[in-house]
Amino acid sequence: MAFVELRSITKKFGDHVVLRDIDLAVEKGEVIAIIGRSGSGKSTLLRCVNGLEGVDAGDVVVDGVRVNDAKADLRALRARIGFVFQGYNLFPHLTVERNITLGPLIVKHVGREEASRLARDALRRVGLADKAHAYADQLSGGQQQRVAIARSLAMSPMLMLFDEITSALDPELVGEVLRVLEAMARDGMTMLLVTHEMNFARRVASRVLFMHDGRIWEQGPATDIFGAPRTDELQNFLGAVLN
Amino acid sequence: MIRDLSWIDPVYLVFALRWTIGLTVLALLGGAPLGLLVAAIGNTKRPAMRWLAQGYVGIVQGVPLLAWLFLFFFGFPIMGVEVPAWLAASIALSVYASGFLGEIWRGAIKSIPRTQWEASGSIGMSYAEQLRHVIIPQAVRIATPPTVGFVVQLIKNTSLASVIGFVELTREGQMTAAATLAQLPVYLMVGTLYFILCYPITVYSRTLERRLRGVR
Repeated sequence: MAFVELRSITKKFGDHVVLRDIDLAVEKGEVIAIIGRSGSGKSTLLRCVNGLEGVDAGDVVVDGVRVNDAKADLRALRARIGFVFQGYNLFPHLTVERNITLGPLIVKHVGREEASRLARDALRRVGLADKAHAYADQLSGGQQQRVAIARSLAMSPMLMLFDEITSALDPELVGEVLRVLEAMARDGMTMLLVTHEMNFARRVASRVLFMHDGRIWEQGPATDIFGAPRTDELQNFLGAVLN
Repeated sequence: MIRDLSWIDPVYLVFALRWTIGLTVLALLGGAPLGLLVAAIGNTKRPAMRWLAQGYVGIVQGVPLLAWLFLFFFGFPIMGVEVPAWLAASIALSVYASGFLGEIWRGAIKSIPRTQWEASGSIGMSYAEQLRHVIIPQAVRIATPPTVGFVVQLIKNTSLASVIGFVELTREGQMTAAATLAQLPVYLMVGTLYFILCYPITVYSRTLERRLRGVR
């Protein structure tokens, strides 16, 4: 069984079908970039993987755990899956360090010193060792997003999900966030990322999924997806975003 | 026998204030935990639980405090339990406070963006952990001014406990007025004492509102 498996999942919001009968298998160490127009179901797909959205049909299985099973220990699973949001979603009432130590302290029950050490390590990895005592509103968007990544890293995740994490950033701040992602990919982290950064997807992704109308319309290595799109929809999409 | 109003009467009135304050404290000790429970239940994902909380708030707010006082004061003896007036009043005021505080706090919790729930849920926190470490600390900021405002209401409403014979400020005033027939001066004093107690809290509430409007 693959590390992450989506088996013919369907998701509706009311009458609107967002995901149609999607199958996907992700192996450990893969870096999957999910591209497509807004409304194509990319973010919903990602949110189904850690159970932020339930599915209406099909199964989501991560590391052998059926996410959509009511009896599944979703909390234990989520503790091992990092999720980074477009809007950072830092906890505004806590310092950067407390944002990061909260998960280890409350969910993993590590000691205070160990949690601080994890936070310092994670902050160093995202290049913000000096911001431990700042609050979110004192940081730039790029810095906030890197703290959000550090918050996930401190939980030693087995899988990272990134939901358009550079879309809300000013262009000059995108690079610093992508560099962190690239380093994580090099370290062998399994990653699913919804992104509009085509160059980044081309460079880092081991596989690219193009979503259209709630389906995985086309997928393959980045060279094929960007170099030799087979469908009109992908050609149109690439034509629109690459120019 | 009618006596004249003397210097000792204001002193008695001031001393009666301690029962007004005591009753307020008891009502908060009972009402706040219950209100927190109502707020927590009222924000769960389960519709049945939310209806339960909403129904409770609806009933508590829809029945006058006076009726709650009568209900507990005369209701317990019917069930064979004798309760002193202070206890019946404390229970009635606790129920009353829980309904209003529960609704204030439910609304404050609800106003915290969904994304904060998602972020905390995504690192594996339980509902209670999310509330305690992420949601409530932020909701407190929003809830504090209306909560303090409600405490002022509560202080004034303890005066209703006088009708079941609990001697707090208003009841003390009634007795003094009956003994001296100096109704106007006595009730002016009673009113002034309530004002002296409540006004600083109102001012404090406004200060808090200004201070808490900023971030963090």
